[in-house]
Amino acid sequence: MSVQNNAVLPRGVSQDAFNQAVEKFRALLGEANVLAKADQLAPYNKIMMSVENAAHAPSAALTATTVEQVQGIVHICNEYKIPIWTVSTGRNFGYGSSAPVQRGQVILDLKKMNKILKVDPDMCYALVEPGVTYGQLYDYLAENNLPLMLSFSAPSSLAGPLGNTMDRGVGYTPYGEHFMMQCGMEVVLANGDVYRTGMGGVKGSNTWQIFKWGYGPTLDGMFTQANYGITTKMGFWLMPRPPVYKPFEVIFDNEDDIDEIVEMLRPLRISGTIPNSVVIANILWEAGSGNIRRSSYITEPGHTPDPILKKIQEDTGMGAWNLYAALYGTQEQVDVNWKIVTDAFKKLGKGRIVTQEEAGDTQPFKYRAELMAGIPNLQEFGLYNWRGGGGSMWFAPVSAARGSECKKQMEMAKRILHKHGLDYVGEFIVAPRDMHHVIDVLYDRTSAEETARADACFNELLDEFEKEGYAVYRVNTRFQERVAQSYGTVKRDLEHAIKKALDPNNILAPGRSGIDLDTYKKA
Amino acid sequence: MTINRRSVLKGMALSSIAGLTIGGPLRAMARPVSAAGQPVLVLTQEGAAGTVFLQGALTAVPQLQVQQAGVDVDFLLALERRLQTAESPRIIGLLDDASATLVVDIARSAGARIQWLGQHSAEARCSRHHLLTANIDDRWAQQLDQQLQEGGSPFTLQVERQDGSLVLRQLNTSEHLTGQATLWASSIGYLLASLGDAELGGAERAKVALPPATSIPITGNFVSFSIEA
Repeated sequence: MSVQNNAVLPRGVSQDAFNQAVEKFRALLGEANVLAKADQLAPYNKIMMSVENAAHAPSAALTATTVEQVQGIVHICNEYKIPIWTVSTGRNFGYGSSAPVQRGQVILDLKKMNKILKVDPDMCYALVEPGVTYGQLYDYLAENNLPLMLSFSAPSSLAGPLGNTMDRGVGYTPYGEHFMMQCGMEVVLANGDVYRTGMGGVKGSNTWQIFKWGYGPTLDGMFTQANYGITTKMGFWLMPRPPVYKPFEVIFDNEDDIDEIVEMLRPLRISGTIPNSVVIANILWEAGSGNIRRSSYITEPGHTPDPILKKIQEDTGMGAWNLYAALYGTQEQVDVNWKIVTDAFKKLGKGRIVTQEEAGDTQPFKYRAELMAGIPNLQEFGLYNWRGGGGSMWFAPVSAARGSECKKQMEMAKRILHKHGLDYVGEFIVAPRDMHHVIDVLYDRTSAEETARADACFNELLDEFEKEGYAVYRVNTRFQERVAQSYGTVKRDLEHAIKKALDPNNILAPGRSGIDLDTYKKA
Repeated sequence: MTINRRSVLKGMALSSIAGLTIGGPLRAMARPVSAAGQPVLVLTQEGAAGTVFLQGALTAVPQLQVQQAGVDVDFLLALERRLQTAESPRIIGLLDDASATLVVDIARSAGARIQWLGQHSAEARCSRHHLLTANIDDRWAQQLDQQLQEGGSPFTLQVERQDGSLVLRQLNTSEHLTGQATLWASSIGYLLASLGDAELGGAERAKVALPPATSIPITGNFVSFSIEA
């Protein structure tokens, strides 16, 4: 057992106080669950953001296995004013990974709380702990021959439903809006109380994962993207696996087609004819996830010129836009909806439809079809090799599902990215009424100059989009304070009033979504 | 798979590593075991960078296990299980960004330690290196600096310690453009295979890790690491 003079300390905490807290963590959790050495913490410190790793270096990391241990941790944190940053599986790649929002925060890694507590095949729901991965659940469903389907984001098998839902992530199936499918949380509050949302507070209740709202104020949402509690259990609904599944792609040759694509698609989504979270990926997203590297086409610095993009299209058959969707149901249902869909595309007069039978095992069709069917894969990590260098930050503004809006956002983003010598690598994830316009700002972190450009670019994207009334739905930890400003003072005042009431010592993830009692309105 | 240096060289000649030629015998004295007596597993990928890295590693530790890395779930879960066993070898590698992102995160979920994490960008005649070193002596980074200096190709080397301090070393020259731009990959292979060797870092040892000459440059972006259970 050794307590060293740590190179990194939590903000405002002395070395002595920190050492005392660490000793108490060790007494509570055991030596193996308190990590304070540099080489133990290095795996938590690989970030992809446009600052040095040091800006997000943790002072220690803890692993807990029970709710009681989590309660014990918050008691110690209150005693020593230790700020704690909680991760579930920690696979929030491009949004901060597992590193804390502020240098020196102690990471609480809940990866060892990984029990699948219940899967109900009749009511079609699951109740899980934070460390449960989608891969673990997928295996569980397969091993128990349960006809249920998962929805997950691209890191799929490695990420987990609780963490993804708490960050309001999305997937690609009809259950792709994950927070909408959440039902019942258990949250350890900063004072150590264990609060269950919805029906969870009713003694003997068997409807915690059945009915969301409970009685009186419904508070689930305020624990997402927030720092008001540590979620230790979460229920969510599972889609029955349909007898027939029909994925398809529609390839569009021109970038300007996005306007008409969205106008054609919106009624199909609102009516439920196409039930899943459709994706419209641009050529570079498609190329990157198809294992194509920029260096195969151009080695000059700066953004990739449009003629090169066209060349990639010609060489690969990929589109300027590549729409992926699927139909689910009985054969009769799928047949009817397929006719409606194909008629709509025929009427549009643009787009080449590719079915699974035609695509075979080609990428990226294969991985897209798998994601829409709830089958995990890691193919999309190929994006990180498009430009290389380890820099990746998701810029994710919300857009109305109107063609003109999507086109406007695409043109704005592309112009700003190109100005900073970076590529527009974007996709729209299509809900009935909104679009998650997700752009991967990829850059080379070995170049200080390019990293500074990426940082400036991200700031300019936020600024320019805000001027047009747009804001992102989620952002990496470097920019969370900046994005909080976009949503207005009244919201921030309320959030800090809640924070002060629930966590007066400011121990739970200060800085998360810009909520920090130590800094807000004190600058 | 356990292989020795001879079989690697044979494999090089037979495999699809187009353009790679061995310029001469390695001048290093091969040692039978790693300094710590711990087995070393090298994760590698197809391509010149992986081969040159492996050759550097073999210079330091002639008995290595080698495994192809990928981004498939089965590989990663097997790696995680391996890192959770007491018999796990130390794992080193030089991989592309996609694979390395996943491998490093698997190290975290397995509760493993990372002594060295490097981000590398190589163009035909120059290279950039960003190192995050943890709990190891600065001389390992100094060793890389020294070898890059001797190689003669322009480079920048940024070393970041966990305390936030940053050291920048660089060579900007137009006089040595005949320098071996592939040197960095074999040097890192050598250094990572040697991690833990108290003797390494001295001037004598610094001279023995020589790179193979290759007929093609190593270009692209890579991540190097040393992971220990």
